[in-house]
Order: sequence, then C-alpha cells, then structure tokens
Amino acid sequence: MPKPPQPPCTKDKETQLREQQEAEIKRRAYRENKQNARKKVKHARFEEPTDVSPVDLPRKRFYRQRAHSNPFSDHRLDYPNSPDTMDWSKMYPNFYDSELGKMTSKVEIADIGCGYGGLLTQLGPSFPESLVLGMEIRVQVTQYVEDRIIALRNKHAQDDYKYDNISVIRGNAMKFLPNFFYKSQLSKMFFCFPDPHFKQRKHKARIITNTLLSEYAYVLKEGGVIYTITDVEDLHNWMVQHLDEHPLFERLSKEWEDQDKCVEIMYNSTEEGQKVTRNKGSKWVACYRRLPNPEECV
Amino acid sequence: MKHPYQIVIVNKAGTHLFTSVKNTVQVFELASGKKVGEWIDDISPDQVTHQNTQISKKKGEPIMSQPIYNHIRSLLLTGNEEYLVGTTDSDKSTIIFHVDFTGENCLTLSKRQVLAKRPCSISFDAGNENVVVADKFGDVYSIPIDTNEPVPEKELAPILGHVSMLSDVLVTSYKGKQFIITGDRDEHIRISNYPKSYVIKNFLFGHREFVSDLYVSEHDPSVLISGGGDDFICLWHWFDNELLTKVELRDLVEEYLHDGHLPPARFLTEDSKKEISIAKISTLKTDDSYFLIVLVENTRCLLVFEINDDFTVTHNQTITIDNSIVDFSIDESNKRIIASVDTESSQLFEAFKYEQGKFSIDSSLEQSFKSVTDANPFDVESKSDFQQLYYINSMRKRSEH
Repeated sequence: MPKPPQPPCTKDKETQLREQQEAEIKRRAYRENKQNARKKVKHARFEEPTDVSPVDLPRKRFYRQRAHSNPFSDHRLDYPNSPDTMDWSKMYPNFYDSELGKMTSKVEIADIGCGYGGLLTQLGPSFPESLVLGMEIRVQVTQYVEDRIIALRNKHAQDDYKYDNISVIRGNAMKFLPNFFYKSQLSKMFFCFPDPHFKQRKHKARIITNTLLSEYAYVLKEGGVIYTITDVEDLHNWMVQHLDEHPLFERLSKEWEDQDKCVEIMYNSTEEGQKVTRNKGSKWVACYRRLPNPEECV
Repeated sequence: MKHPYQIVIVNKAGTHLFTSVKNTVQVFELASGKKVGEWIDDISPDQVTHQNTQISKKKGEPIMSQPIYNHIRSLLLTGNEEYLVGTTDSDKSTIIFHVDFTGENCLTLSKRQVLAKRPCSISFDAGNENVVVADKFGDVYSIPIDTNEPVPEKELAPILGHVSMLSDVLVTSYKGKQFIITGDRDEHIRISNYPKSYVIKNFLFGHREFVSDLYVSEHDPSVLISGGGDDFICLWHWFDNELLTKVELRDLVEEYLHDGHLPPARFLTEDSKKEISIAKISTLKTDDSYFLIVLVENTRCLLVFEINDDFTVTHNQTITIDNSIVDFSIDESNKRIIASVDTESSQLFEAFKYEQGKFSIDSSLEQSFKSVTDANPFDVESKSDFQQLYYINSMRKRSEH
C-alpha cells in the first residue's frame, strides 16, 4: 500500500528523534505488559480463573511491524518435529479431552499469513465446530492476534460462542506446513492479501508457486478449497496462472464464489481488505478445489 | 605435493577408478593405475566466483561468505555405467559424459546443461533416461540423457521444490513404482511420486538438524538410510513411513573429532560441542553379512556396522588411518573400500579389503595409487592450499533472529 503524503515537517530533528524514542519506549512497555498477561493466561490454561483477565482489545498501533519478512531466512521459530508432536491443547483448551488425553477435533481451516486476525475472528463464529488456525511470520503481529483472541475469549466467556475455536501461531508456512498438519488434514486454506514481491528475482518468495502448491495439495483433503484474494492485479494473475497449471487444482466458478460464505467473509473482513475498500481499490478473488490424485499415485 | 581428490568412485566390476580433483575428472584402470580418460573444465579452478563482496549496511564491514571454487561438486555413474554425470560450480551446470573404454579418452562430453542455481546432487530414473538434479535453491530438475542440445536455463521448469536448500536427491522404485526422495536443510525428507512429482506421498520426520545424505541400497530398496547434522543416522522403511532404527554415532566418533568440528568462531561458546556431519553413507554386502559404512566429515575413520535381519544395527569395526578421509567408494566385486585421503603424502588413496570378518588395509594397490597420484595435475606447496574439502557442516542452521 502506498503511504499517504506526509505533512510538511515543522519540528527540528532533535525533537523528532526524541519523540520517536519516547514512542518506541511506550510501545515496548505496552507490549511487555501484554506479554506478561499473555504468559499468565497461557500457563494457567484458559478455563481456570486468573488474576489477569484482559477484556480490552489490544491496540494495533503498539504492534506495528514492517510488512515484509524474508521467508528463506532461518528465523528462530518454534515448530513441532512432526504433526504427532504438536501440542494443540494449550491453543484450543475447550477442545481437549483431559480424560482421554487428546484433542476432540483437528485444525481444519488455516489462514496463511493471517495478519492482524480479521478473517480468523469472522471464520471462528461461522464455523464454531471447526478449529481455525492463523499462521503469521511476523512476531509482533502474531502477538497482537494472540492478545486479541485472549481478550475476545475473556469478553465472551459467558456467551454461547466463546472464540475458543480460533488460535494463531508464529510460523513459516512455506517451510514448515507439513510439520503441523497431516496429509489431507485441511479442508480450507486462505491466502489473503499476500506479500506481492514485485521484483522478478523475488518471485520464489511468493506464497503461491508451482512447487509450493504441491505442498498445499498434500495438506489439503480431496475437495478442499484454496481461497485467494489480493488487491494487486499482477499477483492475482500470477496466482491464477500457477493454480491453473497445477494438475491437482481446478478453479471454482464465479457462481460458486457468489454463494460461498467464506468468499464473502474474506472479501469484507480482513484489515487489509477493509483498507482497500476505504481507498476504493479493487479486489480480485480466485478459489480452487483440490482434485483427487492421479490413480497411479500414492 | 598434490591436491587431494574430492570425489572417488569405483565401478561395479571393480576395474576402474573415476575421480575428481578440483575442476578435473580423471579415469584410471584400478589394477595398473593407468589413466584412460580425462576431462578438464575450461574455467580455471582457482578463479573464485560468487564470492560475496557486499559491505554490511549495519556494521560497515564486508559480509564474509564462503568462496565458491570452480570445482566439480558431484559425480555419479548411471546404473548401466554407460554415462558418467557430474555437476560444476563454475557455470552451475550438469555435465553428462558418454563412457567408452575402446577410445583413447574414455570420456566424451555429450551434454552440458546450465542451470539457474548451483546444483548439488544428482540421481537417475529407471532406465537411466533422465538425470534428476537438485539445486541449492531448493528446486529439482529432470534432464534427459540424450545428445540433444541443452535447453536455455530460463526454459527449464522444476519438477518439484522445497523452500529450503536441498542437500540430496534419490530416485528409487518400490513395487514397480518410482519415487523421488529429497533431503533439505530444514530437517525434511520428502517422498514424492515420480514422474508425477507434484503428488507428495509423505514426509519422514526424525532428523533434528539438516539432512545431508540419503542412501538406498540396490540389495534392499525398501530401506532408506539418512544422515546429516545429527549425532545419529536413521534407517527407514520409507514407503511405510516407519523409522526402523536410529544409530547413535557420537560415542563411537568422539575421539576422532577435533577443533575443526567446533562451530565457527562467532558462534563459539564455552559449552559448544564438536559437531558431527555425515559426509557419506554406503553399504557392502558379503556372503554372510550386510555392512553399513559411515563417514563423518573430516575424520580419519570409517565406522562399520552390521545391519541385522531385524534391522537392528550393531557396531562392528572402526577403520582408522592417519589422515582425514574425504570420500570413499565401495568396490562390491572385490569386497573393498577405496578412500580418498586428505594427506601431504604421495599416495592420495587407501584401500581396505574385507577378509575373515574384518576390513584391513590392502596394500596391493599401492603402486597403482602412486601412478594415479602422479597423474594428478594440481601441485600445491602445502596443506594450506587445499581447497574446500569439507563444507557439509556449513549447512548447519545458526539462527540469529
């Protein structure tokens, strides 16, 4: 997104610098405070009463982070050694059967690059029986979504719908998706307003490529759907071209898109999508169904 | 003094030695040491390409990256031994030679296919129709072994890819179907169908560090042996997604590790352990035993294990010499191991013969090895001129952010 024009600068440099530093200290203090609250909640399990029960939604401006992250670099990431060793119980405590010692449900819907979590908070109530997971590579943005979910759960603790089926994890989906999900585990994957990586030599960093689509096909069940939306026409064409070329995906029709409730949610609910609407930009949608494997393949 | 060989291969019959030193491929008769084939890459071996010369924006210091020399990185004979295929660092190409011992020079370059990124490992599909090449950018390409003109590199499309550096690739068959197995720097081993490699069969999870070597024996293609930056290697029934055995190596190899196995200075801490990286895994079958042979990078020993019928693995012997072993190859016909050695002496190879239940130094090839070394075109002043013999451990992840 291009930045709006800045007002002409009237302050001298020193004042500016001092103000920036003060603002950063304030942001850091805010995040530290939230982090302590988050830690207590995480350790205490959600359903037990805790002395800290944040109900105020976190404020986004304290968590801002530049919009790009290099998917090829070795971030210090926490990821399970395999899907067998992934502990989902802390993330979805209401879907954990402590007597049997296992989850009653598996993650079925994944929002890859979930940003500030706008889609998650809409998908959650629309699919209350399914577990929905957001994956985001930027640390602070992930923390924002965690705080947002904690606040929503506290706020709606007494309601019918408790936001207990949505969660978020910091991760690099381009590298480690198979560490989280079993073969054919997912029924829906969302790619909303992904980083366009305009430069030619950066195209491999795009979230939709021929080779990565094979990995998405691996975690998606037959009949599962990939949802894409972007405000960059070039990127839309790129995603369509690569999905069209991939033998395991088939594009869904305009009519299908019109009747699908997820398309509607995706179009209107994400922060990025709302920003595009405010700026009167265009949004391009493409959805694809996972086809069965060729007969001779296993 | 001569520069050590980075690659050594013995053919199945145990009659010929295929070697590579720097940018040169040489072929010898094993018994006599007579040179029967040679190919020299016309790009100078000491010319360093791809060295990073950028200056760090933050610190103002130059960013140090490992220099890439114009060496031959991998070399492999097709199953029928009609072709020898290698990869070069210089122009990032796959080189395909026709092998014919009736001519004066047994090597004829039949194709040089340039790739977009540096290739690192090769394998062949059934029937030896295509070379499957993995590159450092995570992509795998299939290149026909024919005499057609190479394709412009921009027109090559990968048959599969990881978002990670690839370290090894294998095409193998199971019950009449072909599969492609790839290993990467992010601990993954992926199994895909072949040639429809967009259909992933499964992943094998067990490694905690990078994977560097994948090995499937002709004797039992259902078993995959994998190793990398861990203290152990894994045996798998790869088709059934089953880990059979983890073979712990640290206790066996600890005494052969040295300061060269410590992390680079800027990552060194008081409790840094010496790091194990697997350079090569192979097997040798004798009438009564099935041996697993493992080389840990930059050590002067070969670890020999016996693979039992129930896939348990027992340590059998540690073969040791005075200098680090760079590479080795199995001469199955003569029940021999031939190793390339990192030494200043005039004999750059060592042979170990299997007799009465043990491997021991076989001195019968000494004269032959001396002639081979004499034909080595690279004279060096001292050991410090040896270039890039050990690079596998540099794959280890040391994340800073």
